[in-house]
Amino acid sequence: MKRAALLSFALAVVVLVAALPRPAKAFGDVGAFDPRGLLAGGTTGPARASAGARWSWELVQRTSAPARLKPTNVRADDPAVVDAPFLWWSGDTALSPLTPGEIAGLRKFFALGGVLLVDDAGVADDSSSESPKPSAFGRTARTEIARVLPDTSPIPLAADHVLFKSYYLLKRAEGRVAGPKTLDAIVRGGQTQVVFSAHDLGGALARGATGAWENPVVPGGDLQRERAIRLAVNVAMYVLCSNYKDDQVHAPFLMRRRAGALIP
Amino acid sequence: MDTALSSRLAVNGDLPPWAAIAACVLVVLSLVVLVAHELRRRERGGLAIVATGVLAVAALLLAVLRPVRIAARESVIGAKVVVLADQSRSMALPQNGKDPRRDVEARVLERLAKESKSARLLTLGFGDGAPAPIAPATADGALRFSGASPPAALPRSDLTSALRALGASAEERPQAVIVVSDGRLDDPGEDASKETLTALGRELKVPIHTVGTTRSAPPDASVRRVSAAGAAVAHVPLPLRVEVGCAGGLSCDELTVTARELREDGPPALLATGLSHLKDGKGTVDLSVTLERAGARIIEVAITPPSGDTIPENDRRLLTFVVARERVRVLHVAGRPTNDVRALRQWLKSDASVDVVAFFILRTGSDAPNARQEDLSLIPFPVDELFTEHLPSFDAVVLQDFDAQPYGLEKHLPQLARYVKTGGGLIMVGGQNSFVAGGYAGTPLAEVLPVSLDSDRGATAADVANVTPAWTEDGKTAPLLAPLRDVVDDELPMMPGANILGDVRPGGLVLWSHPGRTTKSGQPMPILAIGDQGDGRSIALGIDGAWQLEFSQLGARTSGRGYGAMWDGLLGWLMRDPRFEPGQLDLASPCVAGEPAKLRVRAPDSAKDKPMTIEIRRLDQQDVATTKVEVPKSTSGATIDATLPPLPAGGYTARLKLGPGPTTRRDFACETGGDEWADSRPDGDRLRAIANASGGTFRWADEDLALPLPKPAVISAERHVVPLAPPWTWTLAAAALLGVHWFTRRRSGLS
Repeated sequence: MKRAALLSFALAVVVLVAALPRPAKAFGDVGAFDPRGLLAGGTTGPARASAGARWSWELVQRTSAPARLKPTNVRADDPAVVDAPFLWWSGDTALSPLTPGEIAGLRKFFALGGVLLVDDAGVADDSSSESPKPSAFGRTARTEIARVLPDTSPIPLAADHVLFKSYYLLKRAEGRVAGPKTLDAIVRGGQTQVVFSAHDLGGALARGATGAWENPVVPGGDLQRERAIRLAVNVAMYVLCSNYKDDQVHAPFLMRRRAGALIP
Repeated sequence: MDTALSSRLAVNGDLPPWAAIAACVLVVLSLVVLVAHELRRRERGGLAIVATGVLAVAALLLAVLRPVRIAARESVIGAKVVVLADQSRSMALPQNGKDPRRDVEARVLERLAKESKSARLLTLGFGDGAPAPIAPATADGALRFSGASPPAALPRSDLTSALRALGASAEERPQAVIVVSDGRLDDPGEDASKETLTALGRELKVPIHTVGTTRSAPPDASVRRVSAAGAAVAHVPLPLRVEVGCAGGLSCDELTVTARELREDGPPALLATGLSHLKDGKGTVDLSVTLERAGARIIEVAITPPSGDTIPENDRRLLTFVVARERVRVLHVAGRPTNDVRALRQWLKSDASVDVVAFFILRTGSDAPNARQEDLSLIPFPVDELFTEHLPSFDAVVLQDFDAQPYGLEKHLPQLARYVKTGGGLIMVGGQNSFVAGGYAGTPLAEVLPVSLDSDRGATAADVANVTPAWTEDGKTAPLLAPLRDVVDDELPMMPGANILGDVRPGGLVLWSHPGRTTKSGQPMPILAIGDQGDGRSIALGIDGAWQLEFSQLGARTSGRGYGAMWDGLLGWLMRDPRFEPGQLDLASPCVAGEPAKLRVRAPDSAKDKPMTIEIRRLDQQDVATTKVEVPKSTSGATIDATLPPLPAGGYTARLKLGPGPTTRRDFACETGGDEWADSRPDGDRLRAIANASGGTFRWADEDLALPLPKPAVISAERHVVPLAPPWTWTLAAAALLGVHWFTRRRSGLS
């Protein structure tokens, strides 16, 4: 009986302590990185459905940046398309033409300075050459983006672009497939607003409920997947910090480090 | 003007002058011939012939001239002579250690009035611009300047402008000018050429006489001139050339010169020091000063005077430099990258006038990047270097969602607080690592925030419930949020929680408040507050969702302009951009020690009915009590002049209070002598050169002041002409005398 009383007292103390006001450590995840899947051109969700959550998880584990572990999807013609500065358009099949509502929604998004990653998940496994042809998704996505932003055209981003040093120092772009060394991008007003990846980044990130990677990387190896994850982290950091690593205070340091050894 | 009756003889008015002259010449020739011819003869009756001949010729001449008497009433008008008396402050310098030069000048003017009675003297004072009448004459006609209320001293001694104004005047031109001065003139300057001096009197075309009041220089060492190479720009070294001098028998081979900035919080900050080696009583030293804060700043340039210096007032100069800002240097420190950090960085980088140095914490100790250090682009956060060596070079520091503890900032918080109090700007932006959660409560930095922070253990750091900030009445009228209100009106996006902030501190103002949460005192909890902190300013923004002014439905409707408008106002207010000040404050005229000065106030319409006060605080003697001046209500217009009480020489800061919130600040300096006392030596040589160049005369005050002035003009007002005799009497007399002469000649045997 005495023991039960002691236990009750201890339990009461624990409950009281738990009820004491403590510093709140989060304002929610509204301002966190959200790899929002863009639903447009007939897509019903990212081609690699689990990749977004893994992307956020990797970002949170590796960096100080907060991220939504349960990413959302948003339709291009939904007013909520302008609620955050990042969209991820992933697909593996040809897109249908964007509706006027989708075009208008995306134009609003870009007008506010938003960043869109077009991730081509339809690239074939054997397209490991340095200039593989984009899949039907990649081709149609470019066509539709050209309708949204008719006054611009993509340019290649080489390894000296800030996207390759926003967190990790990377020599080239890689995803589930090695693909081309560079990324293509539409730059408007000095800002990279649309990034075209022909590397199936989501394919390298996708991980099933069992913890196994959903897709093998091509040509293969843990290092390639690691480099793909690093590129995804860099994309997220670029979205959150823009060209922070191009600042003058970082330049001499990064030049020296570039001269040193990099991950093979 | 003197009037008198006069009387004189003249020839008849109907005779032309040439005829009278011809008659006289003929008479003289006749007499010469007569005398020469008759006196050579030794015969009887020669003298009688000559005598009667002379009388006859004279009578004949009078018959021709027919003289008249003219009686006239005449007026004598003296020539207009303008006396230009030096009214500059240098005339208040002591004369031989006793009376001021102004007293000597008064005695000179008195003597000139007595000794130049034939001239019409018009005494004008010169100094700055056109000359003006001075000091009305006393009952005895003497001009007196000394005594209880001397005329206001002028900050310049510009003789050239005074003479030019006389020449351009529509009034009667003077026929001579007399300049009474100590010779220490601003214009013409010490190095004026002879041509320049000659040109002074060219327009008036009259002689310029000069009278020097002072022969010898007082024993004095001084800062004679401070010249800056170009405009003062914040953070940019400004070269100063300081000219110093010793005169009056003082012995000084070298003088130490210091330049200090007068600051509101703390003692003056030494900016530069140098040693000037003097040759022939003059020396220069080049100093380089760097002013970190923009706006009106008071720099004290001073020497260490040698013993025997009799004028301590000019041992230091208080100079007001209006420091411009080429670019705003902002240190942006963020605890983690978020959408809010992204938005602020992009706004800062998009403004070409902002020079941003950013440090974001991209990796904490608990993060596992799964990479070697060499594979990361991360650099160490140079917290020590930033917050010690480089801190003064920033105009503003933004701490965004940044926890002070893990990165070693805690030890620099006192330094950061001092930085704010000495003129820096601080913005703390909310987030899960800000304010109480960031460990700032109870630290020196909390003392310079516009809101109080709860430092109790276990204090609640944040309210994570969604909140839409509410505009306060002050927020609705604050100029710094006017651009945002122009874009969004009353609407604000819903924010994901807010930091827990305490009551606003004295001098602060809440612009946004929490609609449902109160502080311990029961007031609505501040979300956005601003406040003055010593010489600097700070802002507390207790949310991390302001980025939704850009990315949200509201942002889409307003093209995202609300975010930039908000930060434009916040940073602009922090930098004292006049657009965002609650009022405007300027000096209406230069402040002279011991004389009332005027501050010009421009208040917004919303503040017209509020009580307005100006607080005057001494910068160089901070233990002196603050002076408060009530600003009179405006009867018309938006500008009000507030008269300050006479202030001693020194640096001051004036703060315009338009209510309980932050103030508008204006620094200014009051000097006793200013430029006019900087060089106390009289300059008789310059006065002599001016007189010589225009054909005038130079005299010292203790010499004879009977100057060669123009003669007066005579004007007849009334005239009476009366013949001395009727014309026939002259003719009859001439005929009779000619007959007598003919008879005398016949008796002497002449035909």
